[in-house]
Amino acid sequence: MRRMPIVVAGTAAGLAAVLGFHTETMGTSLRSGLPGASGTAKTPAGAAGAGGGSSTTTTTPSSTPGSVSGSTSTTTTTPTGTRSALGADIQYRYGELELEVTVTGSRITNVQPVIDTAFDPRSSQVNSYAEPLLQSETLRAQSANISGVSGATFTSQAYVQSLQAALDKLGFK
Amino acid sequence: MNARAPGAPGTVGAADPPAGPVLGHVHAVMGTMVSFDVRVGDGDGNAARVGLARACARLDRADAVFSTWKPNSPMSLLRRNEITLGDAPAEMAEVLERCAVARDLSGGCFDPWRLPGGIDPTGLVKGWAADRALAELRAAGVRAAIVGAGGDLATFGGPEPGSPWRIGVRDPKAAGSLACVVASPGAVATSGCYERGHHVIDPRTGRPGTRCESATVTGPELWLADALATALLVAGEAGLAAIEAVEGYEGCVITAGGSLAMTGSFPITS
Repeated sequence: MRRMPIVVAGTAAGLAAVLGFHTETMGTSLRSGLPGASGTAKTPAGAAGAGGGSSTTTTTPSSTPGSVSGSTSTTTTTPTGTRSALGADIQYRYGELELEVTVTGSRITNVQPVIDTAFDPRSSQVNSYAEPLLQSETLRAQSANISGVSGATFTSQAYVQSLQAALDKLGFK
Repeated sequence: MNARAPGAPGTVGAADPPAGPVLGHVHAVMGTMVSFDVRVGDGDGNAARVGLARACARLDRADAVFSTWKPNSPMSLLRRNEITLGDAPAEMAEVLERCAVARDLSGGCFDPWRLPGGIDPTGLVKGWAADRALAELRAAGVRAAIVGAGGDLATFGGPEPGSPWRIGVRDPKAAGSLACVVASPGAVATSGCYERGHHVIDPRTGRPGTRCESATVTGPELWLADALATALLVAGEAGLAAIEAVEGYEGCVITAGGSLAMTGSFPITS
């Protein structure tokens, strides 16, 4: 058996990667949400497809406890200016979560929980450290040059669902 | 355990075509978000899309059969003894057989038959379904792919020909940080206390058994890596020996003290 201290303090790109995956980008090799696809990506994860021409987004309704209503949208432009939208109110196994998302141009500039209740204190504690993830530059996945993250949280999945719903409303790709 | 990983580094060679179009997708299923990163290579883009649709159908099917949340799923019916194994779809027996393999390999630390509320193979089904989804993409002729099922990943190939997928393992104690980065041999699964907000039950005792913050298992296939990661979380450092004994599989635990303890060949890259 080997032992070592935790020495890598990279960026948890799990949520960012999930968001980056949301848009299908056939025909272009530039994936801003995927550090492995381009080491020079400059846009935040979640903006995958912006500038990549036509893109189609489909959200599949979840059949599981954390569910969000489905939506389908198509866009070929990247809106500019600062806009905000409320995400879906997500009921998940340990609570309820609704987010307000602000985007400026092609960047997510803020994410704030509007409703954030957990059914027990431990989950609330989980929320409190899971949620700042997307409020920071950790949205950018480039630093660790990784393509995925192992160890996602249930809370973060509810978070991603609500966030994605808000981004859909904003036509954010 | 002898089967080589679909995504073993050895299967990626210089003869592979250069990186081509990327197909990304997220599918909400099984109570989680399953993400796809598909590198089409010089294969047929339409075939890749068909493969992706089939992969999602595989996941939906697994959810329909094995969900313990859906009251009328075959799994739920079986749990309530309203049907027999013989009545259930064929994949039920396959999954339970694998559960028995994982139980034995883990020394009983993974045991779907000894959980509160009746038999529950959830700790293996997600990985198994992701393996099957990945197989659809391979069959579609894509160059490389990741199927990420709520923090557990099934992979083959790599971002570039000749290089393996690098997967970060979340630091369970520091939001936004990684505990380590591993080169995926085909599957990377992590179980952690943070995932559920509660201690996991040790099936050997029926009582909370968590001794570490999180446990990661790598190996050729996700169904087993997923189950062994669950077992390793229960057993803590003491469970590393059992992982070490399974050919092709490696494990790492992040201890309550914040250090990493791992098997001899755990594919940590930095």
